[in-house]
Amino acid sequence: MQTLYWIFIAPFKGQMLKPGAVFAQMNLIGVGSVPIVALVNFFFGITLAMLTSYQLKQVGTQELMAGLVGVSFTRELGPFLAAVVVASRVGSAITAEIGTMTVSEEVDALETMALKPIRFLVVPRLLALVIMLPCLTIVANCVGMLGGYVIGRFNLHLNSAYYLKLTFDYLVLKDIGTGLLKSFAFAIVIAMIGCYQGLTVSGGSAGVGISTTKSVVQSIMFIIIIDCLFNAWFYFV
Amino acid sequence: MSIIEVKNLVKIYDNRRVLDGINLKIEKGETMVIMGGSGCGKSTLLKILIGQLKPDDGQVYIDEDEIIHMTDRELDVVRRKFGMLYQGGALLNSLTLAENVALPLKEHTKLDKRIIDIIVKMKLAQVGLVGFEDKMPAEISGGMKKRAALARAIALDPHIVFYDEPGAGLDPIVAAVIDKLIMDLSKKLGMTSVVVTHEMQSAFRIADKMAVLFKGRVIELGTPDQIKNSNNPYVQQFVTGSLEAASISAKDSTEEYIKSLVEGT
Repeated sequence: MQTLYWIFIAPFKGQMLKPGAVFAQMNLIGVGSVPIVALVNFFFGITLAMLTSYQLKQVGTQELMAGLVGVSFTRELGPFLAAVVVASRVGSAITAEIGTMTVSEEVDALETMALKPIRFLVVPRLLALVIMLPCLTIVANCVGMLGGYVIGRFNLHLNSAYYLKLTFDYLVLKDIGTGLLKSFAFAIVIAMIGCYQGLTVSGGSAGVGISTTKSVVQSIMFIIIIDCLFNAWFYFV
Repeated sequence: MSIIEVKNLVKIYDNRRVLDGINLKIEKGETMVIMGGSGCGKSTLLKILIGQLKPDDGQVYIDEDEIIHMTDRELDVVRRKFGMLYQGGALLNSLTLAENVALPLKEHTKLDKRIIDIIVKMKLAQVGLVGFEDKMPAEISGGMKKRAALARAIALDPHIVFYDEPGAGLDPIVAAVIDKLIMDLSKKLGMTSVVVTHEMQSAFRIADKMAVLFKGRVIELGTPDQIKNSNNPYVQQFVTGSLEAASISAKDSTEEYIKSLVEGT
């Protein structure tokens, strides 16, 4: 509730957001995650293309692999894999950093200076994640499809333009939209769990380790549950 | 009325009365040292005084405002009247020393950036850290961290400064430097100081008044001389740091300590 207050109400009362802190976090969280997100999705794209073309070969429709990879990445794998990578890389870092601040009394010091830790620590990280995870999802989608293209071009010997045509024949805007909507929800989950675990650390440095583990495990668990709920919504409604 | 007044303060943790009816008055400009052994409740008392913890019973008045029943927003107004020096300094590690000191000024005043820069330099000069503005907390020593944290605590020129174990973890010379700073702030600027410590040498050096806590109660209150000449055997044992004091033998103390651990009293 306090986080929502500092994002939506406080700016109208003259207590502005801290754009500098948000940009710093966007750089750290988003730009810093591009290489690992790209790497994971590229290899996953190759793997998915190989597995599906192997199965489709049985019925002589290997060309359908392009559309299948495209739809799989935009609807499911892109947002999911990007979120899992970010939960592992960023969620853990958020908990470890805020947790260390909590045990070294930096969070208490902020409160004693009448400065709100939610405004200083949680809001910039939440906004940065909400902005950057959908961007990382777009990167994941593109690189995943590039992985599929590598198999289509060099294994199935499909022409580049033809591969693109096959991909976009099956892709609709809704596929990309639903994926981005999911990544928005995943970003909130990673930020809130990461910050909550950091702010509630107790037990010194050992406590920071325990909370960091909890943060990653809970984030991935909630990402899977929310992903399932979203899929059920898109499927049944 | 005193600048700080504590009435019948009670704090209970897991059925254990950590604070058991504390009464304390601290006058304006005074340096009050709160002493006591480990686990006597002095850190809990300090947390309640700065509004970080709610007691189970009792009242705390700061500058005539009762803070216990205040909302968070009301408490923030009171918090701007005091500074706090944490045991480890608690500087924000992601900011330079100058940025740390400037933080409360940027957030609570509408001063121009150039004015803030001048104030920051003045505050750092006051604690002897000229030329260290751009250093990160990780690059400086423990004593320097505490001095920088003190500069941050006094950035808004508070009426009251709270100190949690200011000399802990420092060598005697650096601890004496910190003590000198505390005395200067008190004597030259008229700030009220509340110092929680168990270091006797430092306590007697800076105190105008001392309160000795034992098992959540103030068992002795007075000037340093009155504390030195106290008839209370625990106070004597604590002040002299002896195993065999006038009426509490080390054996009794040990037995009492073990009993308190077992019974959780």
